[in-house]
Amino acid sequence: MYKLPITNDISEMEHLEEFVNEMAEAFNLADDFKFQLGLALDEAVANVVMYAYPDKEGMPIHIEADGEQGKKLIIRIIDEGVEFNPLAEAPEVDTDATTEDREIGGLGIFLVKESMDDVQYERKDGKNILTMTKNLL
Amino acid sequence: MEIIIKENANSIEGHFVGRLDTVAATKVGSEMAKLGEYADREILLDFAELEFISSSGLRLLLMLNKQSKAKKGKVIIANASDDIKHVLKLTGFISLFEIR
Repeated sequence: MYKLPITNDISEMEHLEEFVNEMAEAFNLADDFKFQLGLALDEAVANVVMYAYPDKEGMPIHIEADGEQGKKLIIRIIDEGVEFNPLAEAPEVDTDATTEDREIGGLGIFLVKESMDDVQYERKDGKNILTMTKNLL
Repeated sequence: MEIIIKENANSIEGHFVGRLDTVAATKVGSEMAKLGEYADREILLDFAELEFISSSGLRLLLMLNKQSKAKKGKVIIANASDDIKHVLKLTGFISLFEIR
């Protein structure tokens, strides 16, 4: 199990790149999978940083990774903040909309879902748990 | 992350170097504003050395494109990697810009 503990500050997200590099090496990820993993993590963690702990600083976000080389990689993002299901709250994305009609934002969770094979949210023991699975077959 | 700006007579170029992730997107406001000054002309975004982009970066591209559309200019994205092109396709951004 690989772990990256951070707090709810955007600057803490600078640690994600190194974490993704570590995963890529440990699980021998192809470059496109590494990119998609980086994308899903950036989006999902940004979401937690922005919404989990309104008006509070230095609050914990736990990022965990586990898996089996050549089979699958499972990433969990756990916070103890307000109940928030990003999968339910995410707006529908109209990818055919013109520039003028496009809303600013709303693409984050869409990209998480597109980049991973399975994404599940769970509220348990006062924690938000987002589990993202990537098949490595 | 760095955006190297080159101003020409009737166009501006922004050479994106590094990773345009959530952290980086919060730090390139002045460069994006500079590019926006050419909203009525041609803005070339060279992604040859851009390694990564997430939705925070896409948001900056969309804001720039909105400025450009309003002033009848043009935003061109050049030399994007396959991974970045894939993100542009998934989000439909590929049809919002001229891609070279």
